[in-house]
Amino acid sequence: MAGIRGYWTLAAAAIAFRLLLLLCFPKDLHLGSRPEVATPLTSLRRLAEGYWLKQASMSPYSGSMYHGSPLLLSFLGQLTIRRVEGRPPHFYCSLMFVVVDFITAILIRATGQKLLLSRHKSFQVLNLSKLVEASGTVNPGDFASLVYLWNPLTIVTCMGSSTSPVDNLMVVMAIYGACSRIAPLAAFGWVFATHLSLYPIILIVPVILLLGYGLDAPPSKLFLHKTSDASSSGALNQSPDKSGASKLTDNTIHTFSWVQVLHFVLWVFIWLCYVLLLSSISLEDVGGLSEMFRKTYGFILTVEDLSPNIGVLWYFFAEVFDFFRNFFLIVFHVNILFMILPLAIRLKHRSCFLAFVYIAISSMLKSYPSVGDSALYLGLLALFCNELADMHFSFFLFCGYIGVSLLSPVMHNLWIWRGTGNANFYFATGLAYACLQTVLVVESVSSMLKHDRMLRKLVKA
Amino acid sequence: MAAEAGDGKPQPGRRPRSRLIVRLGALLVAHSVLVSVVCCIAGSIAFLLLPVLAKNTYVSENALMPGSANPMFSSHDVVEANRFLKEILDRGSAKVTGTEIAKLIGQHVVDVGAELYYHKFHPHGNQFHPLHFFSSITNTMEMQYNSSCTLFGLNSVGIIRAPRGDGKEAIVLVTPYNSQNIGQSEALSLGLAFSIFSLLSRVTWLAKDIVWLAADSRYGEYTAVDSWLKDYHNPLFLSNSGKIGTGVCFEENILHLLDQLKVKGPGYNIFKRAGTMAAALVFKVIEKKEKEERDSLTIYAEASNGQMPNLDLINIVHYLAVHRQGLRVKIGSMHSLLKAAWLKFVGEMLQLFGKLTKHLNPKWKFDITSAEYVEGTATLASSIYYQALGVPTGSHGAFRDYQVDAITLELSPRFSLNNENNRSAFLLRGGRLIEGVIRSVNNLLEKFHQSFFLYFLTAPHKFVSVGVYMIPFALLLAPLPIVSAALFSGNDNLGVSTEKVNQEPGCIGSSDTELRSGSWKWLQAAKVVFMIHLWAIIVSLLPYVLSQFPLTTPITLLLVWAALSICILLIFYLIFGACSTHCGWELLKSVMIAAASTGLSLMSVINFSTAQIGAMLIVPMCLLVQPLRKQMQAGVCRKAVLVICNLTIAVVGFPPVALLIAKGVCEDFGKAGVGAFWELAQLLWSWNSATYLYLLWIHLPCWVLCLHILLYPCIGRSSKA
Repeated sequence: MAGIRGYWTLAAAAIAFRLLLLLCFPKDLHLGSRPEVATPLTSLRRLAEGYWLKQASMSPYSGSMYHGSPLLLSFLGQLTIRRVEGRPPHFYCSLMFVVVDFITAILIRATGQKLLLSRHKSFQVLNLSKLVEASGTVNPGDFASLVYLWNPLTIVTCMGSSTSPVDNLMVVMAIYGACSRIAPLAAFGWVFATHLSLYPIILIVPVILLLGYGLDAPPSKLFLHKTSDASSSGALNQSPDKSGASKLTDNTIHTFSWVQVLHFVLWVFIWLCYVLLLSSISLEDVGGLSEMFRKTYGFILTVEDLSPNIGVLWYFFAEVFDFFRNFFLIVFHVNILFMILPLAIRLKHRSCFLAFVYIAISSMLKSYPSVGDSALYLGLLALFCNELADMHFSFFLFCGYIGVSLLSPVMHNLWIWRGTGNANFYFATGLAYACLQTVLVVESVSSMLKHDRMLRKLVKA
Repeated sequence: MAAEAGDGKPQPGRRPRSRLIVRLGALLVAHSVLVSVVCCIAGSIAFLLLPVLAKNTYVSENALMPGSANPMFSSHDVVEANRFLKEILDRGSAKVTGTEIAKLIGQHVVDVGAELYYHKFHPHGNQFHPLHFFSSITNTMEMQYNSSCTLFGLNSVGIIRAPRGDGKEAIVLVTPYNSQNIGQSEALSLGLAFSIFSLLSRVTWLAKDIVWLAADSRYGEYTAVDSWLKDYHNPLFLSNSGKIGTGVCFEENILHLLDQLKVKGPGYNIFKRAGTMAAALVFKVIEKKEKEERDSLTIYAEASNGQMPNLDLINIVHYLAVHRQGLRVKIGSMHSLLKAAWLKFVGEMLQLFGKLTKHLNPKWKFDITSAEYVEGTATLASSIYYQALGVPTGSHGAFRDYQVDAITLELSPRFSLNNENNRSAFLLRGGRLIEGVIRSVNNLLEKFHQSFFLYFLTAPHKFVSVGVYMIPFALLLAPLPIVSAALFSGNDNLGVSTEKVNQEPGCIGSSDTELRSGSWKWLQAAKVVFMIHLWAIIVSLLPYVLSQFPLTTPITLLLVWAALSICILLIFYLIFGACSTHCGWELLKSVMIAAASTGLSLMSVINFSTAQIGAMLIVPMCLLVQPLRKQMQAGVCRKAVLVICNLTIAVVGFPPVALLIAKGVCEDFGKAGVGAFWELAQLLWSWNSATYLYLLWIHLPCWVLCLHILLYPCIGRSSKA
């Protein structure tokens, strides 16, 4: 298992680069006011406002400024009011986000190592050790974690005073917990991620699959094929390791470990109660839980804020007639739910990849997307660099992401500051971005399926 | 799209029938050479045809109604203007201090019954700061006030509150004058402005406030107007400014000044505002050497980074000037092109062609005379040049940064201004013109939005809109993604073919590695391209470091800049040189073209003219470049043509050479020296021109990569296959 040489140097350089940005540009980078970076849900400025309201013993949700979790208020609120002379306004928060980014990267790395181990194991079982040697050149964990740390979108999110790094950490924590079968951690990550941004609720499917079936592996049919093969040939040469292998496959494939899942459900229940309790304590005198649900989940689901962002919903709901609004709200949200079941059936043997696909789809169709979401799924995509080695359109996607991320601020400037463009200019980049994400998801899924097909061909050969 | 289609080129055998769009893309990619030649030629022809395709302007916003009311500016106002002019000239000849004229203007403004205040400003030096390109206007408020307190200018501002308005909107009149040394023409423009101002204070139809800014152009017109606008839009609270240390200096000086001015009354140093600006007119009188048949009016419209005011503003000025006041309207044109023989030839060909088409079908309106064509082209060229430079052509440019439409009107009389009768007639025409424009703008219900913002002028009454001028650019740019995809898929096919060879059961492992390197091999090339772009960014920031050192002459600065850049490039090559040879030159070229096309399309949104000129240089360079060693293998004739083409384009594509040629065509070859480049670069960054960024972030790396490919050591993989 050859890691990337100088992983720690590169990771430390990424952290140092963030600190350098933080220290060298005290005022000039106004990333927090960019619509691409900070959405109404994740903006730290709004959080500071909510904290101030709460300190004045008013509901933090009054005035439609803050729409995040009350726990974040008590967690980050203290940091938002501390100022240092000559530093950005949210200096301490940014420092904390640097740490959060680092933890996320470490968790991604651990997940990747687990994935690599399981891949090697299943290849050994399938007698494809040559493939292991060939593909062992890149350690997906190191690679993905470096991709996450050095991704410009992650850096911008980290610097841009938005709370997305925390959301991302929770999602990654859920995936890591599920991958390493630590049910409490998985439950914690999932409950908090859902609490913070609602959309990770769909991750319950891959998390349960991961806990039940174990990590990503080639389709179970292959193992069955191999087992029958081995048993037929095992009568001939009586080799002990082969029969051992077949036993191993029996163990890995056929059991869906209900114990783990029940354990997970129990812990979900515990954490859920805990979160609700903490929130209700935090909002005891001001509003209470019903207002929290209305102002956070309600705000996400009804798309109240139509200020421009890189998604497509704001434009659509600014144009749509009022009496169709509810109908289209349902249509857009069900869009995400529709994809859950088919994808889960097709990719159930690759649950971690399934989690990536879900995150990518939800970050494409969510009501207030930001580049922080793309930073997360691009980091997770790199976990599957060995499986997706022959992905099509990689160059096109790369150019597209660079082009869109450069064009989007320019179009925004043309519309808002120069006044020579209009909303369509900016929306066009949002549309192009959505297309790119669609191509990315479609291509990655199809090349993953192609990879499985290739494995089957090799096993049967 | 083409790139996408190119990447998804169907692999033969596996998928015999793919989607139509993919097949279409594959067809385009397969004939990329033909497509690129056709597109480039079509693009160039379409570019030359732009003056023919220009349409007549028309007033698009109905509310403007130019010329619908009778002008109220009468001979009485002319008399007033003349009186004011005499007073200024009397004071000016005395030359007591710089504030005499401001004091005079102040007295008259107060007499008319308008509000008055003085705005004091400090000229700020042209400092290079890399982040000024990106930060929005509001952030640049904290300028360097620490320049000495003794250097300052004094703007006098008069405001008429509209009797029918709500004080939410305003129209701004600007007359720049040099308070140190005032000439007759400047005094005349002040007189004209004052007579219009006093007329407007009496009329009943005003719905928008009128602000008259007599800008002290001692340190340049632009500085005066710009600092006034900055203060207008960014309220400066004295409690905040106390800690900067300018408050004290400010207070002291203004009190001292007001003592000098001897104007009594409350709040002449308090900054007053009058709502958002609907439009601004900068006007001045210039006495020209050459005499013409009629009084003439020159319009300047280009603001920073090629932004233009709304076309309707130019339309109403042109309509009123030509059809009401009988002035001759001019806009800037490139004089060297007017005499160019080749242009005349093209014009005659077009004229012939137009006659031919008219003969075929009289409905086709394609007729343009040769002279018209030449004139249109010269005007268009100057329009493109000034937009591409990204430097405003006058103080109206300061307004555009705040989304205010503004133009400069330069009135020049037919005869000498010393003649009283001529002067009065001239003043009457000018006054009526400006009154008419103000009356039209006063009718506006919303800010200008109906007409175009993105256009070129080919004559004062003819324009090329964005929909038309994008066509040549798009044609020029179209080959880039196609060629990039062709190169890329050509490389991909190689990978596929080797994969097929290795598909035998024995060598599964090697097939996998081959596949892997085939699909993601472009990452190596992307790394090289990224490194070069990183180098370019460092080079573009070097002047900031250099300006900290006490080097004075532009030539030394330029030489140090060049030497440092080359050193850094060499260091980059030493560190990362090993990786650059792993990937074939085709991939490198493909990635380079992708980067160039992204950069060009980005630039076309920011400043179209720069992108257009840049595309004409970069596109042939990118398409033609091939390693010299590979070219040597071709036939003698083809070899010679290829090598000569490549070398010429490589020389012309170098930004300083390109700038030299551009300057030479526009002005004069004689004046250009080595230090001129530094001065030009200084000009560009001091005006925050995006052209500087384009030249150094897109053009320069592209050129370096082209050189890299030209000198590529090994022969590409395609020759092996």
